[in-house]
Amino acid sequence: MATGDISVRLRNLAKSYWRGTLEIPVLTGIDLDIPRGGYYALMGPSGSGKTTLLNLIAGIDRPSGGELEVCGHALNRLDDDELAIWRSRKVGFIFQNYNLVPVLNAYENVELPLLLADLGRAERRRRVLRALELVNLTDRMHNYPRQLSGGQEQRVAIARAIVHDPELIVADEPTGALDARNAEEALILLEHLNQELGKTIVLVTHDPKAAQHARFQIHLEKGVLDRTVEVHDRPELPRILPGPEGA
Amino acid sequence: MIWYLFIPLAPYLLWLLHAALFSPLPLSYNWRSIWQRFAGTLSTVGAIAIVVMVFVVVLSMAQGVSRAYVRSGREDQVVILRPNSRVEMMSSITLDQARLILTHPLLAQDDHGPLATTDIIVSKQVALSDGSGTLSVTVRGTTPAGTRLRSQVRMLEGRWFQPGLSEAVVPRRMLNRYTGVELGRSFDMAGRSWKVVGVFDGDGSVFDSEIWTDVADLRQAYRRYGMNSSMTVRLRSAADVDAFVKDMDRDVRLKLEAKAEPDYFASLGDAGRPMQILGQIITVILTVGAVFAAMNTMYATVAGRTSEIGTLRAIGFGRRAILASFQWEAILLTSLGGILGAFLSLLFNGTSTGAVSMLTWSDLSYAFTVTPDLMAQGVAFSVLMGIFGGFLPAWRASRIPVTEAMRS
Repeated sequence: MATGDISVRLRNLAKSYWRGTLEIPVLTGIDLDIPRGGYYALMGPSGSGKTTLLNLIAGIDRPSGGELEVCGHALNRLDDDELAIWRSRKVGFIFQNYNLVPVLNAYENVELPLLLADLGRAERRRRVLRALELVNLTDRMHNYPRQLSGGQEQRVAIARAIVHDPELIVADEPTGALDARNAEEALILLEHLNQELGKTIVLVTHDPKAAQHARFQIHLEKGVLDRTVEVHDRPELPRILPGPEGA
Repeated sequence: MIWYLFIPLAPYLLWLLHAALFSPLPLSYNWRSIWQRFAGTLSTVGAIAIVVMVFVVVLSMAQGVSRAYVRSGREDQVVILRPNSRVEMMSSITLDQARLILTHPLLAQDDHGPLATTDIIVSKQVALSDGSGTLSVTVRGTTPAGTRLRSQVRMLEGRWFQPGLSEAVVPRRMLNRYTGVELGRSFDMAGRSWKVVGVFDGDGSVFDSEIWTDVADLRQAYRRYGMNSSMTVRLRSAADVDAFVKDMDRDVRLKLEAKAEPDYFASLGDAGRPMQILGQIITVILTVGAVFAAMNTMYATVAGRTSEIGTLRAIGFGRRAILASFQWEAILLTSLGGILGAFLSLLFNGTSTGAVSMLTWSDLSYAFTVTPDLMAQGVAFSVLMGIFGGFLPAWRASRIPVTEAMRS
């Protein structure tokens, strides 16, 4: 696979935490390539290091050793400010508890990543409305998080994750706080983003049903990459989203 | 005075201003967040408001005292005293000395002759209208020229005193605080009965704290034959003051101490000082409390919004944006209290009160004078509290590792 086709490249990646002088290894010797447009689910029991791996890929944590290249950037070589700028351009985040800002309405929450880009108000509005349209929440854009259901909150969070057209979407247990129907809807939406808009998605989940939506399942065991499984019986979804952003 | 405190903070303030204009996190986010915690915000705003109110009222008191003295003096008038006596009440000038001074060529003249007055100053106990006791009040025996020299003094009701009738006039401001000196009433002093025949307004000067009567009547009553307390003269111009002061000192027949009126009254300006110092001590104590209240509120804010901070940092907002954002939130919070406190201080504006001068042991009446400048200083003071109280919590917010914030 050519370097340009790789979204995430990990080589001998390691992460340890220190408790006083005691080193606690969380991840060791991780080698992984995720192609551009890939959809990978990180799975494993609690404490296996899947969220830590996701944080490293997303650039919100730093490895203790090894190489980490994501979206064409060696993250080890970026300082904190550069890393923040990199995240604002390349990564969209989806969290288990949605993590919407309570004092901002749906529109303003979705607009947040665009405030970091050099865009005029009109262009920001165009992109926010488009993202809200993708998650089918245009009619709720003036509602505050407390006025939305859990499913709607997660859709706002998904709109926020894609509004700045990132290359990579990371999702940490995105269905963990949702009921079965809303969880299924959120997962199908992610699948559409992957299939139709070509977003690379890395998803952390311990739910096998959620992991079935990914193309590959990566199993971690005690901080080590155990196995990678391809999901074969994955249905081809009908096209529902408008064309890619910026088109 | 308070503005100087901003000078060392200038680089930080400029950076904050830049952040307010160009930071990706809009101030509206902080404004709304403040109202999320309504009870906490209200109590902090209330605490800051009280401190700022006390701060402005203390300053307005000092302003009132200094205004009383500033309004009493003219640049071209000179007060003449016995050397080292400091105040008119402690001074004595003989009639011979006074006659000699009247011949000085630098004295200004009007239709009635040289603009000069020889006054006698005594004090009298007057009952406070609230029944809490008596206070020593200055009584000035003066001449017709004395009323012309103090042009800020205007007769409001009744008339000026007539010589030989034991009559007196009182300032209107005194009537708010004292009893027994109302227009038409008589009071006893030095074994005589004195009738109040007029009420005047001293335009906020020290004369608002004095009862005036005829100098000859007072001299007789106190048997101060051949002796006055002080002399006040108007010179042809303010430029003559230095030469006149030197003449008073050099003339072996006089050997008197002369001071330009503004200098003389400025030297009395300590009348309100004990209260002012007490007010400042109270302000300092309250300020420390208010800064900690602001700090506590902001620490609670940061703790309650850790996950939100983590989200913002993950999305790509830098440490500096978070620091500026939370620092601005603290400043907005304390400024609200500052504005409220500045307006609350207006409740005291114009209220008359008094302080005993440490020099004359007499009561000085003055009014709390809240000016727009003092109110602005109060708000500036609250901004400083926001900067100092908000910095550490804002710093903490900006330093929380993203992964740790996300876990909270």
